[in-house]
Formats: sequence, structure tokens, C-alpha cells
Amino acid sequence: MGFEHFWLSGFDQIHTAFWTYLAVGLQNGAVYAMIAVGYTLVYGVLGLINFAHGEVFMCGGFAGVFLTRGILGDRTGTGWGSVGLILAGILIGGLVSALVATGVERVAYRPLRRRHAPKLAFLISAIGASFFIQTLAGKEFGYGVNIFPGQVFEPGKVMFTLFGAQIHTIAVVSIIAAVVMLVVADRIVRATRLGRGIRAVSQDAETSSLMGVNIDRTITITFILGGALAGAAGFLYTLQSGMVQNAGTEIGIYAFTAAVLGGIGNLRGAALGGLFIGLFGSFSVPFAFEGNVQWTEIYTFLILVLVLIVRPTGILGEKSGRTA
Amino acid sequence: MKLRLNKAVVATSVGALLVAGVPLAGLASTSSAASAKATYTIGVEGPFSGSDANYGDYIYGGVQLAINAANASGMYKFTLKPEKFDDQGSSSLSPAAAQKATGTKNLVAVVGPAFSGASEAAAPYYLKAHVAEVSASATAVALASGSDSNFMRTIADDSVQGKADADYLVKVKDVKNLLVLSDSSFYGDGLAKVVAADATAMGVTVTTGDIPNVNTGGGGTTTEYGPAATGIATADPAAIFYGGYSPDFGLLLSALSSAGYTASAHVIMSGDGSNSPALITSTSPASAANGVYLSEGAAGKVNFLTGKLATEYYKLTKIKASVAEYAAQAYDATDAIIAALAKTSAPKSVSTMLRKEVVANLHKVNFKGITGTIAFAGDGDLRNDTGTSAISEVENGTITFLVNEG
Repeated sequence: MGFEHFWLSGFDQIHTAFWTYLAVGLQNGAVYAMIAVGYTLVYGVLGLINFAHGEVFMCGGFAGVFLTRGILGDRTGTGWGSVGLILAGILIGGLVSALVATGVERVAYRPLRRRHAPKLAFLISAIGASFFIQTLAGKEFGYGVNIFPGQVFEPGKVMFTLFGAQIHTIAVVSIIAAVVMLVVADRIVRATRLGRGIRAVSQDAETSSLMGVNIDRTITITFILGGALAGAAGFLYTLQSGMVQNAGTEIGIYAFTAAVLGGIGNLRGAALGGLFIGLFGSFSVPFAFEGNVQWTEIYTFLILVLVLIVRPTGILGEKSGRTA
Repeated sequence: MKLRLNKAVVATSVGALLVAGVPLAGLASTSSAASAKATYTIGVEGPFSGSDANYGDYIYGGVQLAINAANASGMYKFTLKPEKFDDQGSSSLSPAAAQKATGTKNLVAVVGPAFSGASEAAAPYYLKAHVAEVSASATAVALASGSDSNFMRTIADDSVQGKADADYLVKVKDVKNLLVLSDSSFYGDGLAKVVAADATAMGVTVTTGDIPNVNTGGGGTTTEYGPAATGIATADPAAIFYGGYSPDFGLLLSALSSAGYTASAHVIMSGDGSNSPALITSTSPASAANGVYLSEGAAGKVNFLTGKLATEYYKLTKIKASVAEYAAQAYDATDAIIAALAKTSAPKSVSTMLRKEVVANLHKVNFKGITGTIAFAGDGDLRNDTGTSAISEVENGTITFLVNEG
């Protein structure tokens, strides 16, 4: 705006509120990481970016919102009730998003795959699915109408104080839930027969098919897994920000960036990229030029470009870039 | 039986027609007079889809109401109909909406554009086509610069609102240290600058920041509000003024509340872009909006449709008039266009000459509207633009009018 910006000098800010910035950054990073895994898994098996994945996340968020609003009404959850509501929100969010992701795969991708359509057709189909879901949500829930879930726990509830910084329940819940789900997803991909199928299709779909892997089934399961994580993230995200029909687009871009930064096709890379972007976005706020928060986006994408220049396959990406 | 009855009806009708030759001729002439009435379109440019579609609906309802009243009055040599031109409140979409409007057959003038940024982007197209734009809601000061005689508005601009807001913060709330935040939109930035400049002139220590909006194409991201709120809570200014719209202000209030910065312990204020019940539902917990001050620039004291008009508005739109921001100003804007049209010869078809005449006549209208006296200065602002800003406070989830400031 042309006036002296209000922020304390960047380092003073971080010195004063390091742990708060850390908690907020991890909270955002947890959400990005869970969505980024979906992008990276689908890229692994299909070799393309699912541009409707942001909307998959949005659908899960709305499901959790309406579930908790339906159960709680105007009341506020307490104690074990809060825990149950969070688990229910994650479960329903994950379930609905898994269904939506499966639908997207069946309608927008599978017919094209069967016809050996060019990559560009997949891209357009994905963008079409994204617009369709977003517009449908806008029609149903209102355009730009941010809907919050029921009060799952007391608003602004502080769980503990860390070096003087108040760490809110919402941040702790988001981080723990994300870590648990990402570890589970990692184990599924790395240590189960199902995961072996996903990794096999990622490396060579045709050969894995000859070796007895059911390609259609593997791809569907990949969409379910990625969708479920995005839906759970959607619900966790609503606890802080509510849900609006276009949230998937803006958050999706960050999550996609996280996946690329971590090494597209690499599950652990996607999680790492998500956490990095969340933390970097938080800690760069005090350094925003003229107090304009949008500079944090410039810094983030600048880092992305620099990383890709030095390491084109991303932080943990390998040569093929498809190593889920 | 049925056939015979029909034959009887036909015979009777034919007889009646023959006997009633003269009245029939009269009927014919009346009918031809009715069809001789010109039908004009009044366009409404604003957001009818996208994140701010509610504002477009509010305004369109006000236009419909005024048009229905004019058509029903039988006073005019023309019939009017409204038509929507959707720009989603976006400056990138408004040029296309404006071109569609100006290319519409028999369109005489436009109520709108609704948003300031969209108005700025659309202005050259309306100017070129000589189509008058009477906005009910675009308040950015720079819009009425005097170089565009086609632009007018039935709402006080942000210099009035911003000054009144700064006055209220400094003189009534005794604020000495103010953080002025902008959502980086044409509207929000303009209003924030006025508040910052006026407060600075009154000796207040003013610092500024920008948190780009998420919901009006500002390119911001919801996850930016958490870290930004942390920064604000750490700096701990005594008061905040936010220039922007309710969905984004709600997100900011939610994040500030989480960061421990609340309206109960500080002074938090915003302008007309946030002065909507949508702010309460956009804030979580809703109680985080309690104690927030909201303003709205107005030519007079009436900002919403009331009484019989409010009842008719609800029947027409199913929207409660008490939440329909800018509907009253849209009603007055439409009445101004109708008054300007009434002074023309009302030709059957719309020509550039008629559009020019409407622009010229609009600059001469002077009538008592429902929001106050509607008469435009040369730059398009209301002549009594030195009006007031209505200050309200959110009390227990309800926006309650406090005082007219300024």
C-alpha cells in the first residue's frame, strides 16, 4: 500500500514467535503433504497430473463439515466426544473423497485410457472434471460461501504451551493425524502386495500387466488411496479455514507444487515437499516485502524453481521421476 | 353435445364480432398503441456466479423492483426489462460483460458494474458505446475522476466512508496505533489508503499490510491467513482496519481469533465490503466477529430497503431485504435511469443518440430517492457525496446500527 509495513523486522518476529510460526507451518504443511501424496501416486501409475485432485480434497472437506454440523448443531464437542468427531470427520471425509476420486478415474480417465488417447486429452478431461465438481459444489453449497464444520472442540483451545508459545489443539490434531496417515500410506505402498502392484505399474505398466498385475484394479486402488488421504486432509483443513467450493484449486496448486518439489512420483518426497512448503510459507511471512503476504508465494515458487534447476527431479525424485 | 356446444359458441362469437365492429376497432387501436410502446433493456453488470454472486442477486432484485413499479405505473411511453451481465466481480471478466451489454439490442443503460475493479476495467467499453453506467455499489474514489461522464453512482465514495471510518476510530474509539490491512483488491486497497491517510493526518501511528484476498480473484490462499495472523498478534497493534470483502475478512477474523487477537480486547473495523451478515457465517467461531465495527457509505441514512418495498423485494427474490446490500442503491440507480429516459422522446429503437441523451439527462436528474437525494455532480458522484458513513457493530452475531459518522 505504499506505507511503512507493520511487521516487526523479520528476524525479530521469528525470534518472538518461532514456535507459533512452526506450529502454523506444520499444520499447513500437513494438509499440503496429504494432498500431495495423491498427486504423486496418480502420477506414478498414470504418468499424468490429476488436476481434479483439488476438488477431491474439497468434497471430503464438505463431507466432514456437514457430518459434524449435523451431529453437533450449535453445541461444542468436548473430551472423548471431540476425539470421536475428529475420527468420524476424517473417516467420512476420506470415504467421500475416495468415492469421488474413483468416479473421476472411471469417468474422466478410464475411457481415454482404453482408447489410448494422447496425454493432452487426459489433461483436458481432468480440467473438465475439476470444473464440473467445483461448479456442482458451488450450485449446491453456494459460491464463495465458506462453510465451517460444527465446533468439534472449544474454539481457540490451547493444548499446551511450548517455550511460551500457545500450541492450539487444531495444529496438534492436524499434525498427528497427518503423520499417522502418511506413515500408513507409506507402509501400504512399500510393504504390501497392493503397494507392490502400485509400484510395479508405476515402473512399467505393460510388463506388470504381463506379470499378472490387474492394471485397472491397481489404478482404482491408487485413486482410492490418494482420494482418502485428500479427503482426510480436507476435513482437517476445514477445522481452521472452513470449506468453500474453490478451495481445492488454490490449495491444490500448493500441494501439486509440493509433489513436484519433493520429486513427483515419490510418496515420501511429496510428504517432505508438503511440509517444506507449509513451513517455508509460514516463516517467510515476517519477511514479506512491504507487509504484503503474497510475497510469501513469490518466495515459495522461487525456491521451487531454484530446487528444480539444481535437481530437476525434485528433492527425492529419481531418474525416472516415477518411483511411487 | 360437446360439438353442438362448440358450434353454438362459434356462432355467438361471430355474431358478437359483427355487431361489435366499432368496439373491436377501438380494441385494435388500443392494442396497436400498446405494441407501439418501446421496450428498453436496463442491463445489470455484476457477479451472478462465482464467489460474490450474492451481491449481484441483491442488486438485480433492486433493479427488478424499480422496473416492475415503473412498468405497472403506466406513466411511461416505454416498457422496461432487466438483463443480467455476469462479470463475477472480476476485472478480467468485466470487459467481456461490458461488450456483451453494449452490443445488446435496445439496451439503454446499465446499473453497475457492482465492483470497483470491474467498473474500472469496463469503463472504456461503456464510454465508447455511450452507455451510461450507474453503479449502486462501486465506491473506489478513482472511478469518478471526471474524465468519464458515463459513470455515475448512487452511493457515497470511499473518501466519505474512509474519512468517517478514520474519524470513528480516532475520535470515538481513541485509537493511537492503527494497522491498516488491504485485501489487495482495487476496492479494498483504495478504502484502506483513505483510512490510512486520514488517520495519519490525525496523528495516529499507522502501519500497513496486505493480505491478498482469496475470494475475489486476488490470488491469495487461505493457508496464508494463519501465519499472517501470527505476525499480527505478535506485533499486537491496538486497532486494525481491514479494506476488503466479507468472505476474506471472515477468514482473517477466524485466524486472528486462533492467534489470540480478538475484537473484545482490540478495535477491529472494516468497510461496506464486509458489512454483510455473510461475515458472521464466514467467521469461525462466529463469536470471533462480535465486537467488530463495520461501516457503509451512504448518501442518506437508508442503506437497506424497508417497509413495503422490503416486503415486495422478498416476494420477488426470496431474499430478506435486511441482508440485501446495495438493493436500495440499485433501486435508486434504476429510478435515475428511468427518470432520464422519461425525458427523451422514447423512440421505438435504441440508437447511439438515445444513449447519449440518457447520459446527458442522468446528469440533470434530481429527485428524492429512497436512500436520499439523487443528483449527480459532473464527475458522477452524488452531489451530496459529503454524506455520512453508517457505523454498525456486530453484537451476538447480529450487525447492529450504531451511529452515522461524518
